Amino acid sequence: MSRESLVDHARALDCIHCGLCLTTCPTYQLTGSETSSPRGRIHLMRAVAEGRAEPDATFEDEMNFCLVCRHCESVCPAGVEFGAMMEFSRGALLERRPPGPLARLARWVGFRGILVRRAGLRLAAMGLRAVQLLRLDVITSPLLGLRGQIFRNLPRVPSARERRPLPPVTEAEGPARGTVLVLDGCVMPELFGRVNRAMTDVLAATGREVRSVPKHVCCGALHAHNGELNQAEDLARLTIAQFEEVDGSAPVVIDSAGCGAHMKEYGRLLANDPEWRGRASAFAARVVDLTEELASPEATARLQERLGDGHGIEGPVTWDDPCHLCHGQGVREQPRQLLDLVPGLERVEMPGADSCCGSAGIYTVLRPEDSLEVLDPKLESLESTGAKTLVTANPGCHQQWQIGVGKTGKGVEVLHLAEVLERALKPR
Amino acid sequence: MGSDGKQLSRRHLAELERIVGKKGVRADPTARSAYESDAFMLQRASAEVIVLPRTTAEAAAAIKVLREAGLVVVPRGAGTGLSGGARPVENGAIVGTARMRDVLEVNAEDRYARVQAGVVNVHLTAACADAGLFYGPDPSSQTACTIGGNVGNNSGGPHGFKYGSTNRHVLGLTMVDSSGEVIQLGGPGAAGDGDLDLLGPVVGSEGMLGLVTEVTVQLLPRPEKVETLLCLFESLDACCDAVSEMIARRLEPSAIEILDRLTIEAVEASVLRAGYPDNAEAVMLVEVEGGDEEVDATSADVIEVARAFGAFDTRRTTDPVERKRLWAGRKGAFGAMGRIAPDLYVADVVAPRTRLREIVSAATVACRERNLKLANVFHAGDGNLHPNISYDRRDADEVRRVLEAGRIIMEACVAAGGSLTGEHGIGLEKQDEMCLVFSDDDLEAMDQLRAAFDPDAFWNPGKMLPVRGCREIHTRPLPVHSPAAEGAS
Repeated sequence: MSRESLVDHARALDCIHCGLCLTTCPTYQLTGSETSSPRGRIHLMRAVAEGRAEPDATFEDEMNFCLVCRHCESVCPAGVEFGAMMEFSRGALLERRPPGPLARLARWVGFRGILVRRAGLRLAAMGLRAVQLLRLDVITSPLLGLRGQIFRNLPRVPSARERRPLPPVTEAEGPARGTVLVLDGCVMPELFGRVNRAMTDVLAATGREVRSVPKHVCCGALHAHNGELNQAEDLARLTIAQFEEVDGSAPVVIDSAGCGAHMKEYGRLLANDPEWRGRASAFAARVVDLTEELASPEATARLQERLGDGHGIEGPVTWDDPCHLCHGQGVREQPRQLLDLVPGLERVEMPGADSCCGSAGIYTVLRPEDSLEVLDPKLESLESTGAKTLVTANPGCHQQWQIGVGKTGKGVEVLHLAEVLERALKPR
Repeated sequence: MGSDGKQLSRRHLAELERIVGKKGVRADPTARSAYESDAFMLQRASAEVIVLPRTTAEAAAAIKVLREAGLVVVPRGAGTGLSGGARPVENGAIVGTARMRDVLEVNAEDRYARVQAGVVNVHLTAACADAGLFYGPDPSSQTACTIGGNVGNNSGGPHGFKYGSTNRHVLGLTMVDSSGEVIQLGGPGAAGDGDLDLLGPVVGSEGMLGLVTEVTVQLLPRPEKVETLLCLFESLDACCDAVSEMIARRLEPSAIEILDRLTIEAVEASVLRAGYPDNAEAVMLVEVEGGDEEVDATSADVIEVARAFGAFDTRRTTDPVERKRLWAGRKGAFGAMGRIAPDLYVADVVAPRTRLREIVSAATVACRERNLKLANVFHAGDGNLHPNISYDRRDADEVRRVLEAGRIIMEACVAAGGSLTGEHGIGLEKQDEMCLVFSDDDLEAMDQLRAAFDPDAFWNPGKMLPVRGCREIHTRPLPVHSPAAEGAS
C-alpha cells in the first residue's frame, strides 16, 4: 500500500496550520501536546503522505486517540473536513496493519456479528441482562480495572417487553401532518427502547404518522468511525434501499445524533459509486434529527398545545450537546428551544456543553482511561450548574453520562430529550 | 531519539519524565514532527525533545536537565505565531507551556490577574468576566494563543488601536533564566519601586531572554456600551483614505479593521461567515466603546467620514450575538485563506496611517507582477497591515516569489516611515530585514542586552537578530522619508 493511499492528502492541504482548532480538541486539552491536536494530526497525515514521517506506532496511536468529536470542524475557518479524513486514515491503517488475531476476532464479532444483526444484538443484550441480574458485573468489575468501572455502570438492560421493536405504523393524533420514517437503530432498541417509543409518541402527538423500517438494523456509523469503510458503504446502500421500500419521500427522523450525522453524509460516503451517488445524496437530504423536526413552527405549535407541567421531571435541567449533533449537524438551538417549551421546567446552561463527554461511539470500550479522563471536566461542569436532570440525544452520550453520574454518586437523572417531552405530554 | 545532532541520553530523558511526568515528554520522531513549525510554514526544523511542564518549579527543573544535556531551548505557547519564533532550532528542545493553564488569581479590587503562561487569551477574559473586567489585547488567534506567547511577541489585535499591545498590560512576570533559577520581575504593585524596569525588554523578546512561566496583567473595566459598525466600500483605496481621515479628525473608536474582497469571500465561504455583503470591494469594521453619548457621537462621526469617502452602505449593531459574529469573521480570516491555497504568507508591517493606500498599492503591484494571489486584511486603525499572500510550499519558485514580494512590502513600509512588524514578531521571517531599519551598531547594542540576560545563547538562539552582519547581507538602513518633507515636495 502506498503512502498516499494512507491519508486523504487533498483534504489535508486545506489546513493552513493556523491552530485555531487547538483549544476545542479534547485530547489536546488532556495532554497539552500539539501532536494530539487536530492540527498536529493533519500535519502527521500530510507528513506521512509526503514521505517525511513514518506511519509508525505513534502515528497509529494518535489516529486512534482522537475521539472524532469534530469540535475542530466547528471552528475551522478553512473548512477542513477532519472527520472524513480521520475515517479515511483509520480505514487505511486497518488495511495496512491488520490488528492481532484476538482484536480481529473482537472486531469481527462486534462489527459483523452483533451490530448488523438483530439476532446478534438481542443475544448480546440478553447476555448482558443475565450478567446484570446475577450481579456478575459487580463481582467481576475489580478484575477488569477501568473497564470494570465502565462495565458496572453500564445502563441496565431493560426487560424483554421494553426491548420489543417499534410498531410498523403509529397513527397520527389530531389533524394529520403527513408521514415520517424513524430509525429503530442497532443498540437503541436493546438499551433505550423507551427512547424510541417516546420519540414515536411525541411525533404522533404533533400530527405525524410514524412508520418504522422493521427490516433495518444498522446505519454503519460505528463502522465508518472505526475505519471499516467497505462495510460502512454496504450498510449505507442497504439502509437506503430498506427505507425507500417503506417510503420514498417522507422525512427520515433520527433520535441518535451519531447515526443522523452519518446518514446525512451518505452522499459523501458513496461519492465514488456512480450508481448510488445521486440516490445517496437524495436520501441524505431527507434525514433530520428529531429536534430539527420538532422545532419546526408547525410541530412546535402542536407541542405547545400538548405539553403540560405534571411531568415530575426534577429541575433545573441542562442540555449537553452531543458532538455529532452540534458539530456534526450544526444543530444547537433547536433542543434548547424544545426544552424551553416544557412548562414548569427551569433550564440552565452548562459551561462547555458543546465539548465531548468521551463517549465517542465505542471509544469508552477501546480506550477506557482516556474516555473517563475526557469525562472528568464535564462532570465538574455538570456539578457547577446544580442541574438535577441532564438531557442529551444520543445513546453513546446517554450511557457515558450514566457511567459518570454513577461514578460520582450524585443523583442526577440522565434523559433523552424525547423522554422529557413524552413525560410532559398531557393525556388527551 | 534524535537522529541528527545532539542525542539526549536515556538518563536525561528519564530525568525529564520524572520531573514533568511521562505525558509531559514527547521524544519519538513522529510525535516531535508536529512541532516542526509554528503557523509560519516556510521554514521547518526538528526538535530533539518536547517538554511540557505544569508548573514554574517543573519548568525550572526541566531547564536544568536540558542545559546539562547540552541542548538549547525554544519556548513555545500554542504555536500560533506567524514569524517562526517558536520553531525548533538545531540541538534544541521545545519547552511548551500548553499544560500551564491555571488562572492563579483574579483580583477584582486592584484589577489585575496572575496567570500561568499557557493560559489561552480568551480564557483569561472569560475568567474575569463575572467581575465586569476584561483583558485588553485581543489577537485574532485569541481563541488559541497563550498569554505567554503574547508576552513573547508583544501581541496586539484589533483593539490594540485603543488599548495598546501586550507591553501596556503586563505588570509582572515570573521567568526561568538560563541557569534554571526562577526570577520575578515587577508585580501587581511594583510600579515605581525603584528597581530597573526589566519588563520592557522582556515583553516582545520572542523567547530569547528566558522562559516566562507566570504573568501578572492589568484588567480593564468593561465599557458601558459597545457598538460595532460595518461600512461598505466600492474601492479598497477609498476605504483606506477614509481611515486616514478618521485618524486626522482624531476620532477614537477602539478598533478600525479593513477586509478586502478576496478575504470577504474566503470568510463568507467558511463556518465563520459573518454576513459581510458580497457586493463590497472592501469592508471597514469599526468598534466604538464608552458611555452612551460618547458612543453615539463617535459612531455618527465615523459614519459621516465613511459616507464622505464613498461608503455605499453602513450598518451598526449593539447586539452581542451579532457583534460576536462580525468579529469571528474577521478573526478567522487568516485560517479561512486555506480555501484559496494550501499555504499562506501573512505579512505584518506597520505604516503611518496617512499612507495606508500607498502601501496597499505597493503590495498589490508587487504581487501582480509576480503572479501571486494577495488578500488584504488589516488593523487599519493603528497602521498595522497584513497583506496575505496565498501559495503552495511544494512550488519552490512560488515560494521564492512570495518571499520577494514580502520583502518589497517591508521595504515600502520602512521607506514610508513604518516598521517591520506590528505584532507577529521578527522570528525567522524578517531577520535579514532588520538591517533595513537598524545599523550594525544598533544590532550590536541589542545583542549586548540579550547577552546580559543570556550570555551563552541558550534561549531561542538564531532568532530575531540577523545571524550574519548587515554588511554581509549587503543591506543598509533605508533612508526614511519624513511626512513633513513629503508634504513640502
